[in-house]
Amino acid sequence: MKRIWRRTAVGLGVIALVATVFATAGGAGAQRKSPLAGYPRNQTLITSGSQWGNITGTNPWVGGAATGTVGLLYETLLRFDPIKGQYIPWLASNASFVGNKYVINVRPGVKWSNGQAFGAADVAFNLNLARFNTNPWNNLYLNVQRIVPKGNTVTVTFKSTPNYVQWQNMMYNMPMVNPAQARPAITDAAKLTTYSPANPIGTGPYTFDTAGFDPTTRVVYDKNPNWWAAKLGVSPSPKPKYIIDLVNTSNTNSLSAVLAGVEDLNNNYLPGVQSLVNSGKVLTYYKKAPYMLSANTAWLEPNTTHQPLNDPVFRKALATAINVNQIVTQDYGNLVLPASPSGLLPTWSKYIDTSAVKKYGFSYSTAKAVAMLTAAGYKKDSSGYFMNKDGTKINLDLSVPQGWSDWEAARDMIISSAKAAGIQITAKVKDYNTWRDDRNTGNYDLVVDNNYQISDNPWTYWNGIYHLPILTTGTGQTNFNFGRYENQTAWALVQKLDATPPQNTAAIKEINSKLETILMQQLPIIPLWYNGQWAQFVSKYWTNWPSSTSARQYTPVMWNGYLQMTGIDVITHLAPKA
Amino acid sequence: MRGYFLRKLGIYAVTFVVAVTVDWAIPHLMPGNPVLTLVGRIQVQDPRVAQNLYHHYMRAFNLDLPLWKQYWYFWVSLFHGDLGTSILQFPTPVTTIILHALPYTLGLLIPATLLSWYAGNKFGALAARRKTLDNTLLPFGYALTATPYMWLAILLSWVFAVVWHVFPVGFAYDPTATREWSWAFVSSLAYHWFLPFLSLFLVAFGGWAIGMRNLIIYELEADYAHYLEALGAPQRLIRKYAFRNALLPQITGLALTLGAVIAGALVTEIVFSYPGLGYQIYRAITNEDYFVIQGIFLFIIIGVLIANFVVDIVYIIVDPRTRIGMQGSGS
Repeated sequence: MKRIWRRTAVGLGVIALVATVFATAGGAGAQRKSPLAGYPRNQTLITSGSQWGNITGTNPWVGGAATGTVGLLYETLLRFDPIKGQYIPWLASNASFVGNKYVINVRPGVKWSNGQAFGAADVAFNLNLARFNTNPWNNLYLNVQRIVPKGNTVTVTFKSTPNYVQWQNMMYNMPMVNPAQARPAITDAAKLTTYSPANPIGTGPYTFDTAGFDPTTRVVYDKNPNWWAAKLGVSPSPKPKYIIDLVNTSNTNSLSAVLAGVEDLNNNYLPGVQSLVNSGKVLTYYKKAPYMLSANTAWLEPNTTHQPLNDPVFRKALATAINVNQIVTQDYGNLVLPASPSGLLPTWSKYIDTSAVKKYGFSYSTAKAVAMLTAAGYKKDSSGYFMNKDGTKINLDLSVPQGWSDWEAARDMIISSAKAAGIQITAKVKDYNTWRDDRNTGNYDLVVDNNYQISDNPWTYWNGIYHLPILTTGTGQTNFNFGRYENQTAWALVQKLDATPPQNTAAIKEINSKLETILMQQLPIIPLWYNGQWAQFVSKYWTNWPSSTSARQYTPVMWNGYLQMTGIDVITHLAPKA
Repeated sequence: MRGYFLRKLGIYAVTFVVAVTVDWAIPHLMPGNPVLTLVGRIQVQDPRVAQNLYHHYMRAFNLDLPLWKQYWYFWVSLFHGDLGTSILQFPTPVTTIILHALPYTLGLLIPATLLSWYAGNKFGALAARRKTLDNTLLPFGYALTATPYMWLAILLSWVFAVVWHVFPVGFAYDPTATREWSWAFVSSLAYHWFLPFLSLFLVAFGGWAIGMRNLIIYELEADYAHYLEALGAPQRLIRKYAFRNALLPQITGLALTLGAVIAGALVTEIVFSYPGLGYQIYRAITNEDYFVIQGIFLFIIIGVLIANFVVDIVYIIVDPRTRIGMQGSGS
């Protein structure tokens, strides 16, 4: 018998060894020579919570690129601070409209990571990439007459009234790639979508670590020792020598990784994280509720082509029937804030017309919801539910992507509070793809959704809500107006806002106020709560995290679009733990 | 003998064509359009751009063609060794994804399957002879094999990784490791490998042990065993024969398990965030990544067919009755 066990043990050992070596050789793609025996933990910032699924490379235009592609590797002409509501001059010392021309003054002394100077021609090259119809800013390029680089300045002239808002928004979102590297590679629209050089050249504070990159696990960045912003004294030089961003795992694993000090910064929504903050194990932007800065508005999206959701009175009654505070406190444990009736994010608070909110806003009241429906002529059936005006039964379906547990809980709370007001809603379970396709094609009554992140201008929010025309072929509604709300007046106002010069503040205020009023009167979407910029950090290796009580009031997320806000400032202000 | 192999090969060829056709058809018949995911994640402010991107990707993936043409191109590409391009991870080729993930899965499942088979059979055989083992450890085997695998994996991960921090919570190696031929890296790989391996090993071990124990008891009650006993053969010899006979169904079982080994790691890899093929299939299915689904299942199909073929050969070697049967049919 002993012999059997000895053989078993030997066999176990041998096979385990073979397996390990096998995995080493293939899966990990071992490099033969590396200057390091591992990235020293105390010089490395480890982040996670931005990358869903494999990392596809560093294409900055078409999504799915490595976290930090824009922000760490490639930079933008301006940045935008959503807390202060200000643009931050970056690769451009200034970029703004002068009359109906757009003038970009390139900052002298900016260098690419290969040491060459960054100049006006580089800016023009990147603006001109929008000529390809697969570029996200192609619609703006269609209105461009000329892009003229001269000295340190790039001047853009337009065929007709410029898209003032969209241009300004583009300035802090369009990445500047290296023309010497990109020009030979991007020769047509298709090649723009596949561009991902092995050793990308950027202007950013970090460079891409090709040896460390593992598409299923992580992206690694090495500090750019000659980063222009540190040399010019525009920004502190970041202390982490390496940044490693890990692909998302599960919520449990993420939480454990934060607590074990595997990750320094995590940007996943971790339910119940407030108890860890209260016990001092984890840090967040605010020490108390709501703990997080707001990132986007979660709303209930009614399909306005379906009866009775095509009736604004019914939508308003439905909005009044929903107990949002219950969702905020019980579902989210106060990790989120209830939304303003206008749905405008706190970053846009200066645009909120308080008198309009007072006049047209809504607040939770079951009795009021019942009274509104009764006054509008809706009658209840024998089971106590309201019926359509033509006497047919109302039973609305409400769906959220299956497995999004916080939204599933919110859905159930919406259903029960609507029930109290006599509105019958039934949960419909759909996996994400079905949910999305049904939403895009209008095959739903109600969905919970959140589409537009914080930005420099509420136009991005209005454009999403009121966009016309409604598309019924090809993609259906991909990014806009899923509720199929048709209001030509509102859509004209959105376009007018885009065509209003930024100096014309009175007109901008007025348009925003009108759009808010329409939203609150008509409720094409029913604002519910503000999702947070989920960010939890630990001070095991790095300190000086952003907080509401310090001077470091920055957006603490690595998500796409946030590093070029003030996410990069989070990194440049970190200090190694003493 | 030649006729036997030709016949077998013919059956395998037909099976291959049918299986690959089903493999192609299932993802294509799934509801939903994966290109919308791709377009949806690009931040655009104008639907015209979204439409451009949509048409661009539909063309790039040949999804704008009629289904019969897509099917035809699929076979043409297959014979050129091209499994297509991932939709979700555009423009990564499917073969790159598979080759990257395959070693992790094989490194996990081959040892777990072989070791559990070997150890489980030995233990089962032993248990059949020893009352004490049969009464003490075997119930443990029953418990293991009856445990829902997912539950066991989550339990192990929770206890050892999340609560006690004895093992890491995910990935195939430490995030700060540099990938090189060094002791540090290899030990990091082994450290991350152990817990998913253990979970697979434990469940399979229980199954094999119980199977073998029951088979041995059955064989010891067979006529030939009693006959040998009556002839005065030593117990050891009888047990040896019983073990050999009992091993045959277990070999078939092993072959089938090995064939499906690639898909077997699905739950393990999700629970332990282990970047193998199972994890890739899961991601691909939830995102309707047609070509990755097809590519990975193609590997499984080929794996099962090869494993079956190997078993046919192994059977000829280990079971003399098969050889005699073939000679009989040949004469």
